[in-house]
Amino acid sequence: MTKILGKKELESWLSSIMKDRTLVAPKHVDDLTLFSPVQSVEEIAFNYENTNLSPKELFFPRTDTLFTVERKDSEMEITPAVIEQETVIFGIRPCDAWGIATLDGPYLDDPADSLWAQHRAKTTMIGLACTKPAPQCFCTSMGSAPNDSSNVDILLTEVDEGYAVETVTAKGERLLQGVELKESDVKPSVPSCDTDVPAEGIVEATQKVFDDPYWSRLADRCIHCNICAYVCPTCYCFDVRDRTDRGKIERIRTWESCQSKGFTRIAGGYDPRADKGTRLRQRFCHKLLYFPQQFGPLGCVGCGRCVTACPVNIDIREIISDLQELGAKVGQGSN
Amino acid sequence: MSADNEPLIIGFLCNWCSYAGADMAGTSRQAYPANIRIMRVPCSGRVDPLLIVKCFEEGADAVLVAGCHPGDCHYSEGNYYSRRRFALLRELLDFMGIEKERFRIEWVSASEGKRFAKIVSDFTEDATKLGSRKVS
Amino acid sequence: MGADFTQQIRDKAKELLEKGTVECVIGYETGSDGVSARPAFIHDPAEVDRLVFDNTCSHNLVKYLLNKKGKPTAVVVKGCDSRAVNLLLSEKQIERNQAFIIGVVCPSVVEWGWNKRSEQIQKRCDWCRQHTPVVYDFLVGEPVTEEPPPDFADVAEMEAKTTEERAAFWREQAERCLRCYACRQACPGCYCIDCFVEELDPEWVGIRIAPQENLMWNTIRAFHLGGRCISCNECERVCPVNIPLSLLNRKLEQEVLSLFDYRAGMSDDTIAPLITFRKDDKLGIGE
Repeated sequence: MTKILGKKELESWLSSIMKDRTLVAPKHVDDLTLFSPVQSVEEIAFNYENTNLSPKELFFPRTDTLFTVERKDSEMEITPAVIEQETVIFGIRPCDAWGIATLDGPYLDDPADSLWAQHRAKTTMIGLACTKPAPQCFCTSMGSAPNDSSNVDILLTEVDEGYAVETVTAKGERLLQGVELKESDVKPSVPSCDTDVPAEGIVEATQKVFDDPYWSRLADRCIHCNICAYVCPTCYCFDVRDRTDRGKIERIRTWESCQSKGFTRIAGGYDPRADKGTRLRQRFCHKLLYFPQQFGPLGCVGCGRCVTACPVNIDIREIISDLQELGAKVGQGSN
Repeated sequence: MSADNEPLIIGFLCNWCSYAGADMAGTSRQAYPANIRIMRVPCSGRVDPLLIVKCFEEGADAVLVAGCHPGDCHYSEGNYYSRRRFALLRELLDFMGIEKERFRIEWVSASEGKRFAKIVSDFTEDATKLGSRKVS
Repeated sequence: MGADFTQQIRDKAKELLEKGTVECVIGYETGSDGVSARPAFIHDPAEVDRLVFDNTCSHNLVKYLLNKKGKPTAVVVKGCDSRAVNLLLSEKQIERNQAFIIGVVCPSVVEWGWNKRSEQIQKRCDWCRQHTPVVYDFLVGEPVTEEPPPDFADVAEMEAKTTEERAAFWREQAERCLRCYACRQACPGCYCIDCFVEELDPEWVGIRIAPQENLMWNTIRAFHLGGRCISCNECERVCPVNIPLSLLNRKLEQEVLSLFDYRAGMSDDTIAPLITFRKDDKLGIGE
């Protein structure tokens, strides 16, 4: 038997969540769909494939204060940031939830990032299964699926009568307390994500292609902006700088990307990745080689945002295919 | 604006003409309001548009740039460049939501102490009328 | 247009590469969605059939010449792009004899996006009165006569709003800005080795990705292009959060035209208005 939540019941449930927690949901903003805090159910977008920016922002904001330092009498007082408000994310897709779980690897690795840990503890995720994957999606090739519930607290799947409800964690169960669910024998249909990207064995293939001139040729058209890293659910590089404002010091952390020129420039002016090809190689080796070697999962969830957002069509799906092809040739007919 | 409705005005005065003109105002007891915070620069041509925008972003209500009269620049040409630069910047700032009236460019010579005092008094009055920027 | 332009470009590219006139031809090829063009770098004459030209060829390829200094390179340019060639020549960033310009009389380009498949002409093409390249070594297509210049209706619409409305508008845009710098990276006029926004001492703009800093970023970048912007509008196209950057550049274009009667990139030896002066400039300052 499937548990069903009717549309009206969903709306009143979300409205009640908004009363004492921040509810974040996809919202149409001009031509974009962005995760935003909402004050009423009317603001929520239900008709979308995926948001333009990933929900990693709710755990790793684009700009964040880590702590502040102020002089109080003759003492320097350090005040670390504390997350007090509970947040509920509604409408997160399985690929993006997979992305959040993937980032637990680096961010909860000892010593754990306090802010990431706090956000994770204070956030409940209501996932929404995809009914129609977009042309750029390839989640199934990367280990997830349009109806994968493994990384959310609750998974909702659209059916005729409303939403099929799968309660995944204790947190999800607590959130659903008092919500009336009907029973039905309808089985939610399982959508398929048809794009097949040959990700099996990509770690080994990438390792083999490390020294290939492929990277330089690919980087010819890269303009080295930060778009791919910023839209990506699993990119997590940052910059840290102190900011002083009338005697109060804030340590600020913001998004940064290995693609920008100067990302690896060090004191003295030397830059080990001054060359475009090395920077581009870094991005894909991080995702497809170093990250899985260090943490287990691949550093790509198949959301396809980089594919749609890149101004010069650097397409990770093409690259994975190319790497497999090039990797297969290495060691053949050469010694 | 401060709590008592006093505008904060930042002034960039070139060392050779307008700063000396401000000094002249002081020595000849020509009073002008203390709302203006003066910064001495070698030449109005040195004033980077970044400085102007940063002043507004950091909370200034109005900005004055004062230089030598065109033709009298201590460095010969600095103020010819600044004239063009600020004519364009004033338009862009207005477009971004910072009224043209908040950004004033004046030519003040070293002997124009009285005139400098009047310019600052008038500017302070106008800035008070404009009030604080509606959206900061 | 269409197949004929593509064939002419392929033939020319093959000739240039086979003769060794250039080491690389920068043009367009079809991207991974099977529809939209993307930049292509052809080094081998056997690969010229990758090259295409159609109305999805939005990118301004001229900036790539800055990565090819010292190496003879051919580049495919539309009308707007050709003005960028002149801009870089006049600012001594490229050498004329190192660049072979394949000019294309532009059919106007459509809204570009991966798998977007749009028929909508980009608004910059509606504004454009330079469909024929202003500089080229080889021309594809017949030069066209242009209509009289349009007015800046989009700028006027913004100017008609109140100061408060404008301030609120730009603040809202600044809230969206990610500081990805795609606008800067795509712009042929932005080639500073160390951009002001990344300067640490003095720290003009902080690293915070927040409205105050974002406004400074976008305002000053626009100003640095005052009298230099050639209106390719790539900055707006590449922005991942759809900030209407064209409004800023067009405002400055309007003012530069009215104050100095100047358009950037029309020839390779003009001087941008902000790095020169006339003693008798009458600009409404101190008069």
